Amino acid sequence: MIKIKAKNVDVFYGKKQALYNIGLDIEENQVTALIGPSGCGKSTFLRCLNRMNDVIDICSVKGEILINDFNINDKSCDVVRLREKIGMVFQKPNPFPKTVYENISYGPTIHGMAQSKQEMDEIVETSLKKAALWEEVKDRLHEPGTGLSGGQQQRLCIARAISVRPEVILMDEPCSALDPIATAQIEELIDELKKEHTIIIVTHSMAQAARVSQNTGFFHLGHLIEHGSTDKIFKNPDNTKTQDYITGRFG
Amino acid sequence: MNLILFTFIVLLGFTSYYFGRKKAYTIQSSNKRLTALPQFYGYYLAIWCAIPAFIIFSLWAIFEPTIVKLLVLSDYSNQGYLDDELNLIYEKTKSLSRGQFTGEITPFIESSAEKYLSLRSIAQSSKAVIVLSIIIASVAYAYKRISSNSRTREPVEKFLNAVLFTASLAAILTTVGIVFSLIFQTIDFFKVIPLFDFVFGTHWYPAKAFVRDSSEALDPSMYSDTFGAVPIFAGTFFIAFIAMCVAIPIGLMSGIYLAEYASSKVRQYAKPLIEILAGIPTVVYGFFAALTVGPFLKELGTSMGLEVSAESALAAGGVMGIMIIPFISSLSDDVITSVPQSLRDGSYAMGATKSETIKRVIFPAALPGIVGSILLGVSRAIGETMIVVMASGLAANLTLNPLESTSTITAQIVVILIGDQAFGDPKTQAAFALGMSLFLVTLCLNIVALRVVKKYREKYE
Repeated sequence: MIKIKAKNVDVFYGKKQALYNIGLDIEENQVTALIGPSGCGKSTFLRCLNRMNDVIDICSVKGEILINDFNINDKSCDVVRLREKIGMVFQKPNPFPKTVYENISYGPTIHGMAQSKQEMDEIVETSLKKAALWEEVKDRLHEPGTGLSGGQQQRLCIARAISVRPEVILMDEPCSALDPIATAQIEELIDELKKEHTIIIVTHSMAQAARVSQNTGFFHLGHLIEHGSTDKIFKNPDNTKTQDYITGRFG
Repeated sequence: MNLILFTFIVLLGFTSYYFGRKKAYTIQSSNKRLTALPQFYGYYLAIWCAIPAFIIFSLWAIFEPTIVKLLVLSDYSNQGYLDDELNLIYEKTKSLSRGQFTGEITPFIESSAEKYLSLRSIAQSSKAVIVLSIIIASVAYAYKRISSNSRTREPVEKFLNAVLFTASLAAILTTVGIVFSLIFQTIDFFKVIPLFDFVFGTHWYPAKAFVRDSSEALDPSMYSDTFGAVPIFAGTFFIAFIAMCVAIPIGLMSGIYLAEYASSKVRQYAKPLIEILAGIPTVVYGFFAALTVGPFLKELGTSMGLEVSAESALAAGGVMGIMIIPFISSLSDDVITSVPQSLRDGSYAMGATKSETIKRVIFPAALPGIVGSILLGVSRAIGETMIVVMASGLAANLTLNPLESTSTITAQIVVILIGDQAFGDPKTQAAFALGMSLFLVTLCLNIVALRVVKKYREKYE
């Protein structure tokens, strides 16, 4: 099933064009990896999907992005509801300078998802369990989230993202600031999360893309060069640029 | 004479820099590797020129007057003069030699004035000779020592270190000196006025201390009910409180607007405009408060049937608040801007709106810094003088009615120290006691504020 359908997406930073005519379909409950050299526009495309580019003054997005057949670039789109449905995890772990508990309860509070303290406790517990962090932090829920290790902080951010039960989770190089063990934990977690969520992950590591994703899109200089199943992209790409990038000849 | 000598030494310094560098180039051109860049050789020689000159100049400044005085007065020894008389003779001699003496000129004084002048000129020329010869000797010595493997970089770096250290030492010593001058006068004051009367007394009426005839003996009991500082402490904190009631909300909100809402273009113009407020001299605020705000409040109050003094705490405090707005707004703007963008992104990505993000994430994260900026604002409000002197009157009323006039510590210090004062009088010393307590209060506030700001800085490391 197609969850997200991007059609003719152009993105400009001021006068400079960052993305050219991107068209990409994203399958539901699968992991889609976006790969490409630095500055190719893969993070920019990811940020289009929850309209995070709105935050940047000079950035303008053209084209259609259909999520559940609804164009999120339409004027009638409520960004608050959109971001409730589309969660995001960033490159550097960015827990709020609050307690572990408050980090998770943040989203449910602003979206009014819990009527009582028990309900909130439940949401916090299930989110942390889904992010495979519960066992490590259940005794320190009321300590600052910034005191956790880097890998724990990133899982806390994943737990924060899933606390509002989003349909899609966007991950912008979620492991680039982590060591190999923490990376392995996150990758395992991604595999688990795809049962309930559609996941789009931007990564610099080709090995990671091959390990975690079912579909892959290759970006180069603002163009989507090639997309398809990860197997095909890695073993038998149609485009020579893709071939060169994957075999490490540039980038 | 001194100026010519000084210019000459500076020229010598430049010359020795030039020669030092030149020698370094010469060494370099003979294919030997230098231990430092050629400039360092130049600086090295210039330092060898500057240090001896400085030492001799200071020694001369310390000893020359004493020695000349001894020599001049040696003519008068064994004639039974008292020390005071000798000092007077010497002063007369000096003013005669400058041609400023107006009294009767005796031959004695005339001859010593001549002696004084000749001694001075000998001293001047010998100073010039000694300084120049020592400089030349030391530069020549250092010049000879420079070779391909001599170390010049380390001494130059050490010298710079010493110069910078001296500069900061001067600043610190000044602070210590100020504190000590306050302490001794304050102790003298409390010898006459009991500390208890000062801290808990409710009547401040230092003019009473002037009524005393100077021939009367100092009787502490007559100062009871004169130096009770409660009304002026209360007035100080009250006016500061009114000022902060104006400055905190407006400053904070404009800081948040500038940091989060304003487009870069608005910010570009608005921020300097707000900061202009900080550049207005406090005297100007003072007459704005006294001549515009005060009468306006009085009229407004009268039309509503209230009795408002033309010099009211409200006018002074309100204008003081306006003065403090830019400090709070610009500091809190900086603090809010330095909250990492990643936290904003994280909050927006959760679907939070701008105001939710500010209220729940940015404000708590920036709170220590904001508190710090507020405390700095408070210590400014407490130390502010001009506005209060001009707009809130000088009578130390113990009141909590913002429409009446009150006075503050700073305003009272001004009142006490304007005009003729006798040192050693409790009235004058009261100013030092007030200054000391003001210093303690603002010191505590600044320490707390800096602590808080520091704690905030560590948070995002």
